Order: sequence, then structure tokens, then C-alpha cells
Amino acid sequence: MTNRVGIVEVAMTSGAETKDYFLDQVFKISKEVLDKSGITRDDVGTVISASSDVFHGGMSCANSYYWDAGAAFLKNGSRQDGESLFAFIYAVMRILTGNYDTALVLGVCKGSENPENDVLTHFFTDPFYQRQMGLNETIAAALQKREYMDRFGITEEQCAGVVVKNLKNALGNPYAHVKKKVDLDEVLASEVVMDPLKSMECAPKSEGIIAMVLAKEELAKKLTDKPVWFKGYGSSIDGFYLGDRDLLEGELPNAAKRAYDAAGIKDPRKEIDVAEVCEPYAFQEMLWCEDLGFCGRGEGGKLLESGATAADGDIPVNPSGGVLAMNPYVSRGLYRLAEGFLQIRGQAGERQLDKQVNTALAHSTHGFAGQCHAVAIIGS
Amino acid sequence: MGRPVAIIGSGQTYHGRRFDVTYPELVKEAVDALFEKTGISPDDIEGVVSGTMPSMMEGVALTHFYFAEVLRSVGKPIMKTETCGSTGISLAFTGYYWVASGMADLVLVVGSEKMNEGDSQATMTTVVEPFYQRYFIAGAPGVFSMQCQEWSTRFGIPEEKVREAATRITIDHHNDAFDNPYAHIKKRLTPEEVNNARIITYPIRLWDVCPNSDGACAMIFASEEMVKKYGLKPAWVKGVGYSGEEYWFGDSEKAIWQCAIDAAKQAYNMAGITNPRKELDVAEVYNPFTYQEMLYYECFGFCDFGEACDLVLKGVFSREGELPCDPSGGTLCTNPIGATGLNRVAEAALQVTGQAGDHQIPGAKLSLAHAMGGVDQYNGVMILGSKK
Repeated sequence: MTNRVGIVEVAMTSGAETKDYFLDQVFKISKEVLDKSGITRDDVGTVISASSDVFHGGMSCANSYYWDAGAAFLKNGSRQDGESLFAFIYAVMRILTGNYDTALVLGVCKGSENPENDVLTHFFTDPFYQRQMGLNETIAAALQKREYMDRFGITEEQCAGVVVKNLKNALGNPYAHVKKKVDLDEVLASEVVMDPLKSMECAPKSEGIIAMVLAKEELAKKLTDKPVWFKGYGSSIDGFYLGDRDLLEGELPNAAKRAYDAAGIKDPRKEIDVAEVCEPYAFQEMLWCEDLGFCGRGEGGKLLESGATAADGDIPVNPSGGVLAMNPYVSRGLYRLAEGFLQIRGQAGERQLDKQVNTALAHSTHGFAGQCHAVAIIGS
Repeated sequence: MGRPVAIIGSGQTYHGRRFDVTYPELVKEAVDALFEKTGISPDDIEGVVSGTMPSMMEGVALTHFYFAEVLRSVGKPIMKTETCGSTGISLAFTGYYWVASGMADLVLVVGSEKMNEGDSQATMTTVVEPFYQRYFIAGAPGVFSMQCQEWSTRFGIPEEKVREAATRITIDHHNDAFDNPYAHIKKRLTPEEVNNARIITYPIRLWDVCPNSDGACAMIFASEEMVKKYGLKPAWVKGVGYSGEEYWFGDSEKAIWQCAIDAAKQAYNMAGITNPRKELDVAEVYNPFTYQEMLYYECFGFCDFGEACDLVLKGVFSREGELPCDPSGGTLCTNPIGATGLNRVAEAALQVTGQAGDHQIPGAKLSLAHAMGGVDQYNGVMILGSKK
């Protein structure tokens, strides 16, 4: 890659569900990010959004609805269906070709107009086998958690520990949805929703409309004193049927390796200053940390207990509070990236890490038990 | 603009009511055909782009999960692109940008639809929001009949002439379809049959409308290095253009249709085309409705506004004409929506590589592929050429 792509600015809604009109929200956030970047709609080269028809208030062809509200009127644009980190990478690709100098990236998910997430994730199933069983993302995660506990001796306390850590972090995040100080006992005592998963170990359903402006190197430097650079990206998809997969040996190591290779990262634990990991279920943060190479296989629990992933640890994970504190299904990858961006810029407010942050990792996953993963690396 | 990118192979399924296969099997048919034709190993693919219509049509959400195995994508980077009816061409753009950016050298792009297991018109009605538009936009024909009326009224084209030209188009395309082994509806039609067919939404009659087809299309986008490595005939991507406009149907002008004009302009500028009718050898225009095909001729600069009917009746756009359009039979004869735009690209690539068989336009060197989507809202154009 010859030229670099920089993130110029970000704007986002908080995760709390609101009665605000969908299109007003998309418009406001798009306008806010352009204003912050000091550009107008005319300066926007291309608009790439992410949304998902099944998480879109009963409307199909999701991006038709917010196309003009999202600054894309008579622009060249496209959409990634399902996960927003893919929209980011598509926008990066478009700038790298030289066809565009700037891109607006949007993640759109209005949780308040959707039914419960699992009513919708149930539609990921095939109509013949899985649907008859009522499979959804929480059931798949419960199977994965059970296997994780059985194979590596991960404890309920460790899983609950992730919740305590992330919700504590969320207290300092004005965008977080769940803001509540909780202790271990409270999490352990919460209702079992899908054995062995307890309600507090599962992410909520949130609002999340987020926008980012990207620009090619020269322009990014002109638009901001503190551009944050795209360094590397990787994604990977696993097989469809849960029974065909080893749920603890998934595709995240593949996705991570691709991102690390592109970014020239050899020792992720040392070289990454902050990681924002997509953990709709608490135990997954530990499993994904293993996959990302922050510790060995089966050591995710110990990593958490050591305090390494706490805000003051050597590899802080989810200083934003993560997905457990805010879960706009489609947008959550971009929210991870946004937190990395703010941490690198030193603009994370109360939750700003007490160290120099040069390199951040953003991870997203969607599908049953992490069928699909994406990893992006950004840096100063 | 980026690195040179070429299409080096495509695979299509046979289209129709494919109750003989499941949806993943249908996708597999296109993907397997592609690998067999090109001799490329799935192991060498560096990224996969998948897309369909929305979940309501599929009965399954985020279909790339469901198709992971048949796409041969397990363990590979993936993207899921979706832009309603224009999904097919948006998939092709994703493949193009992925390779042009330098982030991959060999990308598999697959679009698919099994329309006969869903309800396409019910789905399209859910593209419009539940408060205002949903009450009066009943599926696609409602939208397109309004557009047709706007166009003929605006340019003062007599209804009889519009009918005559539309009849010519549908008779020609259904004849053309006999020469395309993958086409769905093949029929020798008479003018009487077309003109007296039942009205779907006035003035649109049955033979003005595309069918519901089951089908899939797969394609490989390659860097220059890969073109050399595999020694397959390349169809070089010369230009890409896409534009979208208002969601609210009543707010926009659909006769002098800005997003269609802009999409073509972007692609022509990139390809250095100044006189499309003269320079293009063949065009695969997305024509789900006869009337719309003519409107596109005008928006794409194949002729002046209001002129398309006359030129159609003179045969300018038929197989032996000056600029043959949709020699494959087009969308009018075969419409698996999530794949349809990609079929247009595949056909345009077959033409410039001399591989279109019985519907080959002799000596075609420069072709146009197009697709449309949203609430009559998006248009995408890709220009392909036999030379880099």
C-alpha cells in the first residue's frame, strides 16, 4: 500500500434507546462528524454504511431509508450488511484506490425499533435444521461457554469478572447504555437465561448510530492535527453449522494474523496499547483475548484475574465498557474503533488510559459463537 | 485510479423455478461452474464477496453465514454487500475496489437469489417505510408504472408509440433469450399477445415485466499479476459509477433521472468515453420493465431525451443495430434479483472476451453493465473492455 488512510473525526449517539426519529438521528450524526472535520457534504467523496435489514425496524433494503439523511444524496456509495467494521474497511479500500479523497462511514442500528436481538439472530438459522431447534445467538453462546468451562476450567467467577470490569469502565463513558456499578456477587446471582449464561453476562439491546470521516494521507493531515492512521485489517468466516465447528478453535486467530501482518505487529500483547473487543457474552472477551494472542490458549481467565486487561493493566481491554455496556448489533464494530481512535487522540475523557496510546485494536464479531470476525489496527 | 483490475471468469446457474435444489446448492452450482471453467483452485482465492436481497426475501438473515461452505469462504476474509436491486453490481464494485486497492489479488464475488421460495413483491413493499409510502407503493410495478407515466408525459410521447416500442423490446429480448443457455423465460411472442396481455399496473402489461427467477452468479476479479498467472481472457474494468438519490419517491425526478445520469457519467469519465452510442459495442442494461430500458437509453446518453421510442422502432438497440442492448435477453427474461446485476456484468465480460456463444456481438471490445435498486433510487454502471 503506497498511501495511507487517516481517520479524521468521529461522531456517535449514546447507546440509550430513544424515541428520536430515526432519520433525524442519522442526519444529526452525519452532520456532526462533517462539522467536526471542517468539511461540507460536497467534500464527501463516497459514503459507505453498515446496517442490517433484520435489525432495521421491519424495513428491507436498509440503506434505502437513510441514504439521503446519511449525506449520500447523489453520491457514490455502498453498504455492508451486518457488521460495521466491514464498512470501515470498504471505505479504506475505496480511498486506497485513489478514486476518492474522503469517505464517510456510517453504522446504523436503532435498537429501540427492533424486537429483542435474539428474535432477530434466530433468522440467521437455516430453515431446515437449526430453525426447528429455535437456535439463536444466545443459545450458541451458551454452548460455547459450557465448552470453554469444561475444556479449560474457566470459572463462573472469571466470567462474572469481565462484567464487573467492563461495567466499571462504562461509568466513565458518556455513550454507554448500561451504567451501573456491579459486584461479582450480583452478577453471579443474576438470573440464568440460557444455562450456563446469566442475564448480566449478556449484552443489552442498544441504539447506535455512528459516523466517521476518513481521508487520504495529505488531506487527513490538513483536516486535523491528530489523524489516526489505518494500519491493518483482517477478517475471516467460519463454517455455518455449529456441530461442524470446534467452538473454541474459531476463525479469530486467522483474522488477527492478517491484521497483524498488515500492520507489522509481531508481539500483540506488547505492541498494542489498547484493545476494544466485541463481547456480547462476557466469557467471549477472555476467549477472544486468547485468539488475539494476548495470552495462551485456555489462559483467558488468568489474564483477567491478573488485572492485565483492566484500565490500568498492561493490555487494557474495553475501556469503553465494551458491548456488555452497549450493544447496537450492527454498529458495535465501529464503536470499538471509535474508542480506539479517541484513546489514541487522548480524547477519551474520564476513561482516558493513564499511558501513551499509540496503537489500538478494534475487533468485531457477528454470527453464532463468533462465526465471522474482523480486526482492525489503527495507530498514531 | 488504483491498480488495473480484470474479470477473468464467471459462472452462472440455469435460471428458472429451481425446486430441484436448495438455496445453498443453487449458490454452489454457480461457484463450482466458475472454478471448473477457470481451473482456478478455491484455495487461491484471497477474499470472498457475497450478497443477496434482504432477509425478508431470503427467509434467512445475513445469508453469507448460511452460504459460508458453498462459497468456499471458510477461513477466508469476507464481505457482505447489499444495496437492494443494485446488489449485483454493488458486489462487482466491492470485488473491483478490493483488488484495485492492493489489499487482495484474487477475489471471488457471488450474488444469488431463490425468488420462488419467497415473495418478492411483499418484500419490496417493505423497502418503503410503514407510515406514508407503504400504503400506495405496491411492489415494484407500482413504482415503475409511475415512472413510465412521468417519462412519457414529460416528453409528450404518445401512448401508442410507447406501447409499440415496448412491444418491440419484449419480443426481441424473449427471442434473444433462446440464444442464452442460462436465460429463464424463452418465448416467441407476437405483437397481439403482448398488446393484449393482462394489465399488471397501468400501462404495464404482463410481458413488460421481468419474471421471478432462481439463480446465482459467481465471478473472479483479478490483479494484473493474476491475469498473467492464469492466462485467462481478461475483461478489464475501465470505469465504475454509482449514485443514489432521495428515499421519498415523490421528491425526485424520475424521467431526467439524475442518479442514472450521474452513475453513467462517472463510469464514462473514468473510461474516457465521450460518445457512448458510438464507442460502446454492447450494453447490458438492467431492464426489469420494458419502459425503463428506454428511459435508461436516454439517461445513459445513448440518445436524446424523448428519442428512445423512435430509435427502438428503427432497431438501433437490437442485436444487429448500432448499439445492441441486452443480447442475453436481459433482466426482462431472467431476474434472480441478488444476482441480476452481477449477471449483467458477467454478460458484459463474456461479450468483450468473445465468449458469449450464440448471443455474441461480433468483435465487441467495450461493454456496459448496469443495475438499479432501492425505491427507484440507485443506479450503478460498470464499463468493461478487452484492452487494459
